[in-house]
Amino acid sequence: MSVIDLSKLPFPENDLGDFLDSVCDTHELDYAAYAGTNPIAQTVHGFVNYPEEWRTRYTEQKFENKDPTLLLAKRSIAPVDWHRLRHEASFKTVFSAAHDFGISEHGLTIPVRGPYGDVGLFSVTRNCSDREWALLKSKIMGELQQAAVHLHDHVIQSEALTSILAQPTLSAREIEILQWVAAGKSQQDVADILAISHRTIEVHLRSSREKLGALTTAQAIGRAISRGLVYPV
Amino acid sequence: MIIVIDGLNRDRYGRLLDEMFALRARVFGGRLGWDVNVTNGREIDQFDALDPAYVIGVNDDGRVVSCVRALQTTGPHMLSDVFHEILDGDAPLRSATLWESTRFCVDTEILGRGKSRNSVSYATCELMIGSLEYARDSGIEDIVTVIDPVMNRVLKRSDCAPYDYVGKTTPMGKVPAMAALLDCTDERIDRLRAFAGVAGDVFVGAERAEQLAGAPDMTGAASSNWKADARASADAV
Repeated sequence: MSVIDLSKLPFPENDLGDFLDSVCDTHELDYAAYAGTNPIAQTVHGFVNYPEEWRTRYTEQKFENKDPTLLLAKRSIAPVDWHRLRHEASFKTVFSAAHDFGISEHGLTIPVRGPYGDVGLFSVTRNCSDREWALLKSKIMGELQQAAVHLHDHVIQSEALTSILAQPTLSAREIEILQWVAAGKSQQDVADILAISHRTIEVHLRSSREKLGALTTAQAIGRAISRGLVYPV
Repeated sequence: MIIVIDGLNRDRYGRLLDEMFALRARVFGGRLGWDVNVTNGREIDQFDALDPAYVIGVNDDGRVVSCVRALQTTGPHMLSDVFHEILDGDAPLRSATLWESTRFCVDTEILGRGKSRNSVSYATCELMIGSLEYARDSGIEDIVTVIDPVMNRVLKRSDCAPYDYVGKTTPMGKVPAMAALLDCTDERIDRLRAFAGVAGDVFVGAERAEQLAGAPDMTGAASSNWKADARASADAV
């Protein structure tokens, strides 16, 4: 498999490298990386904000064929703390090399599974004590999950073939809730109108945002309107 | 105690997985009469080939007494691919912080009544606590779970009532099935723990996990080649 450096490709909407930097800034992380496999194109594609020297070494050594944070982590549904991979011989190979570039063994990989057999792997790392790492991890896990899916969906949908396959399908409930929010109702108002819990509204909005590739509800409504799913009020 | 088996460690826990598939066959194929494939006394479907995570309860003898299966809703899962009838043709939820749980069951033959450590009630609560905590610690906020009305009543009685449902209740063999929503908040987990009297860590430690490792027991019933069975089920669909 070949490795495509996505940071060298133009993206119409987002600079994905900036997105990685902002995830690191927001969550007190050193580095972040995304790697995805496309089952249709049979390629591995990715981008990272690791130091240039480490990226060069990594590709020269063809570590993508060994790296357990890619090859093993994709078999989990939950984030994989790199602790779990330490007994692997391949882990020692990759991380003793990484050590020379100041890259820590404290990290985790979030696997994302898409609907077409596509898999994305979002990894983050930080040089800190075991205790600090454990605390940080529990604080940021939910947001990292969302960042991982957001990245993965953007990359997958940017490819011509999958973007045709990936027309978002919203449920009747999701459209109904978006329509009320578009009409200016608060989440609590919508919950009262539909006689369902606030949490049900939230879970449907979260799902709608992801299907529409939006980070905010306002953005999701904009996209839903542009696709004719929701009427502008 | 609870152990989580996933794509990274499942090669070490062949015996536990085999017992789990046998338990699922007795519960879903037998007692509940769901429309499932049972081969060699093991219930295995195409989702078992997708490296799901299994949260499994084991008793002091190391026998499997309860189990549940988790998949991400971003990829293929039962509500998107199999249980469309529950959704009545509508699109499934899809979210980074929402997991789907299916095939939740406990062994009512090994376990007794009452609320002791070897009761159905305790094993059910312990499995729910284990699966909610595993999800919570993975950054998951909510779980959508496909259950029958009996399980729905068990959830309500254990102070763990679903906060809502999606789709409609639909016949699934002898009994109806429904999709319920549960949050993985500390409040819900605390309520369950208080109800069942479960204190402390429910997950096995490294030493106990080591004792539980091992290949399937080949005496007795023919052991299934579940990976091949899962792939065959995948091909059949």
